[in-house]
Amino acid sequence: MLRAPPNQALPTLRQLLARVHLRLILFAVVLAALSLLVSGMIVIRNYAARNLELIAHTVAYTVEPAVVFDDRQAISDGILSVGAVRGVDCVEVRDPAGRVLANWKHPHADLHSRIEDWANRQIWPRPAVAPIRRNDTMIGRVEVYGNSEGILRYALSGLIIALSCLGLTVIATRILARRLQQDVIRPLDHVAEVAHAVRSDRAFEKRVPSSGIAEIDRFGRDFNALLAELQGWHAGLTSENAELARRATHDPLTGLGNRVLFEQTLADAIGDSVRSGQSFALLYFDIDLFKQVNDRHGHECGDAALIAVADRLRQSIRQADHAFRLGGDEFAVVLAPFSDRACVQQVLDRIDRAMARPWRLPTGAAASSTLSAGVAVYPDDGISPQDLLRRADADMYEHKKARLAAGPRGKNHA
Amino acid sequence: MIRVAAIIFAAGLGLGAAPLKAAAADGPLVLVAGGGGDAYAPAVARMVQSMIEYTRWPAVRNPVELCVAGPAQHAARLDGLRLSDGRAITRRAVPASPAALAGCDAVYIGQVPPPQARQLTDAVRGRGVLTIAEADPDGRGQAMFALLFQPGAVSFRLNIDAVSRSGLRVDPRVLRLAQGGG
Repeated sequence: MLRAPPNQALPTLRQLLARVHLRLILFAVVLAALSLLVSGMIVIRNYAARNLELIAHTVAYTVEPAVVFDDRQAISDGILSVGAVRGVDCVEVRDPAGRVLANWKHPHADLHSRIEDWANRQIWPRPAVAPIRRNDTMIGRVEVYGNSEGILRYALSGLIIALSCLGLTVIATRILARRLQQDVIRPLDHVAEVAHAVRSDRAFEKRVPSSGIAEIDRFGRDFNALLAELQGWHAGLTSENAELARRATHDPLTGLGNRVLFEQTLADAIGDSVRSGQSFALLYFDIDLFKQVNDRHGHECGDAALIAVADRLRQSIRQADHAFRLGGDEFAVVLAPFSDRACVQQVLDRIDRAMARPWRLPTGAAASSTLSAGVAVYPDDGISPQDLLRRADADMYEHKKARLAAGPRGKNHA
Repeated sequence: MIRVAAIIFAAGLGLGAAPLKAAAADGPLVLVAGGGGDAYAPAVARMVQSMIEYTRWPAVRNPVELCVAGPAQHAARLDGLRLSDGRAITRRAVPASPAALAGCDAVYIGQVPPPQARQLTDAVRGRGVLTIAEADPDGRGQAMFALLFQPGAVSFRLNIDAVSRSGLRVDPRVLRLAQGGG
């Protein structure tokens, strides 16, 4: 089924769904990732800060005798044994005057990238400090500088996870949009197809199948009900039209074709004979003494006579022949093409025999009448409708004249 | 088990009399033979003071009676020492005989041959007396601490056996001070 291409400027429902999903999921993932990342970093930093405090105190406790003994090697060993752990960038043991007694630096401290240095400064602007006391005397202090490596690693892995989640969700969005489209748009497409079929093919018998979505299903049912109404209207209209068309081409009294249909049929018959090269005959009749019948017995009896004649004509002709009432008491028959002219006479004889049977008038009396007939044969008597009609008319009058001269055979038995 | 703690001797040189003051100078210093004085004496003084600092007696000794038994070479600066909590260390010179050790809280055993030193340590064993040997690097005298003199540095050896029998408690972190004793 051909359909007009959709307006390029209008997005399809699928694009719309995909866009909305994407935005929603992007928002959710970014929000979740950010909040997790930030809260995770805060928690980790707090733990790391506590850890640094703990390390500072542990170092202070461990190196205290070494400071008392003034054994710098022992101070360094003490730092190494408890302070040289991950997450610690630098440990310094100072005397109360601030001079460094011993220190330890992370082995990778020299290889620090500038980012890590910057992050160290940002995350650990101040070292964790623990005093070294002997009884109540302060004999030194320990400063522990934190390392941002762990936090940076967490942030990096969080970022990578968030990005991969984002990628996954983008794919999921597409799949979701496709499924939604199938679920939502297919029923809508059904409706559109039916609407199109109704509009272009007048296929009023089509119905929208039920869909799995309540709203669309309701819409489809209403649409179907509307279609049923339309179908009813259409059927009524069609039959009325047919009736009107029939009335336009048929005589309401006798049910035979009228002059309009006759002219059309004659023209068609001429056309067919031109193509096939066959002959056909046009018969022309009127009822003898119809005017007198009408005048003497009234129009009702005249109408009964017309109906009876029409019936007899209809019964006497073959399937392929057509009978018409041209007006008044004039009738015509267009005979189907023939190869033998004798069949024209056969039809005329059948009509004569049929007319011999009387018919019943509305008054209850029986009546009969005779027909005068004229024949014109295509193409012998003419090739145009007018010629043929004129020729048949003239032929009929000749016969009628001859018959009247011979004495009226048709009688009313009123 | 014997552990050795090495103390950079030079670090102790600048100490002077002020107890528990941190080293005055950073970086390597060389042993300077001071005019008239014993170059090891300040380091020995600090070491003895620190040992007393980390030793706990069953009952608090105030002041701490430090007896120097026999002739000592490096005990010149042992006078007027004070602990971090303010207790004083009083020094007394005694002869190297077990009978002379009554009332001593700590005994600094000077240049005494090991067998004689053994007599001294046997005499105070289990009675809560800290023993430090100046001239017994091999620990044959069974002193708790044995000072070791190397050029430019003083270190000590700890006799765990003697410590455990002494009736004193020595801060375990002092054990950790021993190089390799971690």
